[in-house]
Amino acid sequence: MSAMDPTEVFRQEASELFEVLEGALLDLGQRPDDRELVDSAFRALHTIKGSGAMFGFDKVASFTHEFETAFDRVRKGEIKPTQELISVALAAKDYIRALIEEPQTTDDIIGEGILDDLKRFVSSDQPASPVAEITEAPSLAPGERKQAGWHLHLEFESHILRNGSNPLDLLEDLCKLGPCFVVPITDGVPFLDEMEPEDCYLKWDVKLHAACDKDAIDDVFMFVQDEMKLTLSPLEHVEAPPAPLFQLLDEEPVPAAMVEMPAPAVEVAPALVVEEPAPKSEIKREAPPVVRREEAKREERGIATVRVQAERLDELMDRVGELVIAQARLTQLASAGSDLSIKMIAEEIERLASSLRDTTMGARMVPIGSLFGRFRRLVHDLSRDLSKPVEFVTSGEDTELDKTMIECLADPLVHLIRNAIDHGIEDSATRAANGKTEQGRIELAAVHSGAQVLVTVKDNGGGLNTARIRAKAEEQGLIAAGAAHSDHEVHQFLFHPGFSTAQTISALSGRGVGMDVVKRTIENMRGSIDLSTQPGQGTTVTLRLPLTLAIIEGLLIRVGEGRYIIPLSAVEECVELTAEDERSRGRNFLNVRGNLVPFLRLRELMTASGRPDKHQKTIIISTGETRVGLVADQIIGNHQTVIKSLSKLHSDVTIFSGATILGDGTAALILDVAQLVAMAQSKVEKHHISEAA
Amino acid sequence: MNGGQAGEHQADAMQVVMIGLGEEKFALDAGLVREIIDPVPVTKVAGARSFVPSVINVRGNVIPLADLRIRFGMPQTENSADTRIVVIEIEIDNEPVLVGVTADKVYEVTEISQTDVQQTPRVGMHWKPEFIRFITKWREEFVIVPNMERILN
Repeated sequence: MSAMDPTEVFRQEASELFEVLEGALLDLGQRPDDRELVDSAFRALHTIKGSGAMFGFDKVASFTHEFETAFDRVRKGEIKPTQELISVALAAKDYIRALIEEPQTTDDIIGEGILDDLKRFVSSDQPASPVAEITEAPSLAPGERKQAGWHLHLEFESHILRNGSNPLDLLEDLCKLGPCFVVPITDGVPFLDEMEPEDCYLKWDVKLHAACDKDAIDDVFMFVQDEMKLTLSPLEHVEAPPAPLFQLLDEEPVPAAMVEMPAPAVEVAPALVVEEPAPKSEIKREAPPVVRREEAKREERGIATVRVQAERLDELMDRVGELVIAQARLTQLASAGSDLSIKMIAEEIERLASSLRDTTMGARMVPIGSLFGRFRRLVHDLSRDLSKPVEFVTSGEDTELDKTMIECLADPLVHLIRNAIDHGIEDSATRAANGKTEQGRIELAAVHSGAQVLVTVKDNGGGLNTARIRAKAEEQGLIAAGAAHSDHEVHQFLFHPGFSTAQTISALSGRGVGMDVVKRTIENMRGSIDLSTQPGQGTTVTLRLPLTLAIIEGLLIRVGEGRYIIPLSAVEECVELTAEDERSRGRNFLNVRGNLVPFLRLRELMTASGRPDKHQKTIIISTGETRVGLVADQIIGNHQTVIKSLSKLHSDVTIFSGATILGDGTAALILDVAQLVAMAQSKVEKHHISEAA
Repeated sequence: MNGGQAGEHQADAMQVVMIGLGEEKFALDAGLVREIIDPVPVTKVAGARSFVPSVINVRGNVIPLADLRIRFGMPQTENSADTRIVVIEIEIDNEPVLVGVTADKVYEVTEISQTDVQQTPRVGMHWKPEFIRFITKWREEFVIVPNMERILN
């Protein structure tokens, strides 16, 4: 199965987010005081911005950024979301949607109108403009736009560069008046050997799609009026841009603003070439032919893959689970009888059922590598934009996770990686000063740990600034000044909505929207998130995710009447509990070849009734270095375990990570290895304390 | 049933599944009930809250089995030939959750009238009033309409 077109994935993701955004905005109209709604609108915006940037929807990202900035005052509670504001916000949302879904039919001028309205509303505490103006805003669109605009022809004197004037700056100023389409005319460029490096040979043709005064344009060229020829004519209609140029542009992924610098222009002013793209790349980039090509591609893919609702796959899996159990009974019956033909049928069904199970599983499980691949581009772009060289290392790509979980993981990981680069990794100078390699390093890893998958994002940056987080928490009134909190507790404030210690708000982060989204998403998946940091060494964020649906190899044991599953990956060995161990009741330590291993009696934990078996067995489990013994009555054997999660009514039960269904149709619980180990550890500590006392 | 009466009934009637727990009769909103099954082997969940002591397998789903008798302070009885499990769907934190409820007996699916609603008496009952939506009369007997969301949260 081939991976989906990432752009298409983004479109689908965005359309869900738009629903959230729209819902939140509309509800906000009804309940303007509901902070939760503002937050949820903001989160949706933030994710659209982040993913938009990731998939090259630069316009979406920059517009959303502006939108977000304007909306930020609402979030801070400085102004009330009025009806007018909400209708503008909704118009903005529609515009972003149009940018994503049909970029070729949208026009930047609509966006600018919306942003102006938005800014007007949020800048004055009282909604200054009457409703009349709002209704005007959308009507700025198609009708008026046709007449609005200028066609400019620019010819500079060849010696203009020697006077210190820079035509590119002028073009940039022009772009600030409105969306520009700039075509350089290279006819005048001579051959290389005839070329005077300090002369300007280029002319420009500019289509300015903005209803500005002629004076405004004249102002731009005020200082060079005498050294140039400026021909101005009103633009009658929005012309379809010459297609060939666009194709050229699109094949070579040059940032849009570089249009003004085709190869021969290098001689014009070498210093200019390194200049970064204009801050807002208003220059039109949409290329109708290319879009059509994408559509064709999408159609092809439509045949190859089918999107199925996750619930249907869940249902299918349940049916298969039932089938496997029924088949086990059939096999049992058939083997007891003597009818050879029934035995044959039972075998046939067994074979079919197990391959059906594998297929169904396979349909849901996806290696996490498909997700990791998406972040290379992100890291690359971020590292370039922030000029922080970063090495990106991934491991455990073949760790399989439920498909729905992989999709849910994308957003949190974008946030975490962005945080790691933006806040975690220091700039090269600081790194060098601290004796670190100039290149930062970000590791993204996935690993199975018992019945969980751990996904870690690890950077080797400066670590968390605990003092600053504490100060910020005090400033926001989350904790009392000077109150005693462990570093770990202080770090938890990073997950608080709207909490950010970044001094400046960048396009990447600093609004404090990220981490609470991450936490919420992970918790919705019944997972948990953990931060650990070492000052100067870096920060590691660990996501612990349950395997909501996966088959694991388990060890089936019996404790009293109950049967339980221990994930086999955590089992080290099984030993018999000797009479000597048995006698040392108070100590609860086991001697395993000279090492003392603490053990837990499952009979006590499970409050098992009845008499214990005469020969108790100990299963040694481990997480990393820590080993713990679990004492059970009987070890039954290996068991292919289909993991079912426990319901919310049992979310307070910590020692089980899930349940499964055994061959006879009864449910059995899966032990949470990490929890049991932690429990044993705390017992050991208590034991030490009581001994010391 | 004649026409006039039926119309009258629809306004305030409520479809319920009548179950027996100990000496009492409870009326579960039929809209909540997904299915009624015979008792199945239960799996005890150590450390769970006492009113959801175990889980069961219902068609490949592991669902919690709630014991309302514990919530209402009634003595527990052994399963009898009449014991059934009523599988209901309730909302917990805005998510639908399937829960099995043990019933000593399931009587029938019937209609109860909401006009006969009795005020939940504050005294003379050892049950928490918030567990009870209302008490009404059915065939000259008092029946309790429990608030399942509250009971299970």
